[in-house]
Amino acid sequence: MSAVSVVTALIKESPYLTRMSFELFYMYLTLGNRVRKTRKAFEKQLLLAGMSKDDAERLSTCFEDLKNGITGMLKQGIIRRQ
Amino acid sequence: MVDNENEHERKHEKRHEEQSPENIKEILGVVSSEIPSLIKNILASVFSEEAGRNMGKAAAAYYKEMKEGGLPEQVAVRLTEDYMRTFSSIGDMLRSGSKRESFGKAGEQIGEEIERKIRQKMDEKSREKEEEDDEED
Repeated sequence: MSAVSVVTALIKESPYLTRMSFELFYMYLTLGNRVRKTRKAFEKQLLLAGMSKDDAERLSTCFEDLKNGITGMLKQGIIRRQ
Repeated sequence: MVDNENEHERKHEKRHEEQSPENIKEILGVVSSEIPSLIKNILASVFSEEAGRNMGKAAAAYYKEMKEGGLPEQVAVRLTEDYMRTFSSIGDMLRSGSKRESFGKAGEQIGEEIERKIRQKMDEKSREKEEEDDEED
């Protein structure tokens, strides 16, 4: 297969790749909001069980840690490939 | 000998077909639609209101049990924190799992072994090719 046909195929597929990049970027941007909502729902359950607000907030930081773990993993993967 | 040549040609054609622009287009189309949805589903299973509520219910039940068992407030909170740490340690595990260093010496040995095998195969191939060239001459 010639290089020209590969380039042609890539150009033809560029809308798909652009859409994928935008979707991944949008996911990255909205991840913070998702984590915030998850934390709120988590804290609410702990407050219902009688835990103090400070303790519930401290416990819910595990979601932030998990988010950092996942994004860190993806970043490391991208950097290593480059 | 003729069979071998035919087989070789067939393989070459098959590889050519696999690398055709139509196939690449198809692969890229599938990848561009499947990867975002896959990542979205993975994230939704961990970071969503429902996931948070369920995790909160589990932690709250654990905390309640501790308190009903007669443990002091601070101890119950600390134990619940430890319980939740197992959840956040998945993130650390993912992060450390993605590092090559985490495989340690065993990983290095596997890498060296693979490199050795590849070099061996390449030497064999080049030797075969040289022999074929000599026969042709």
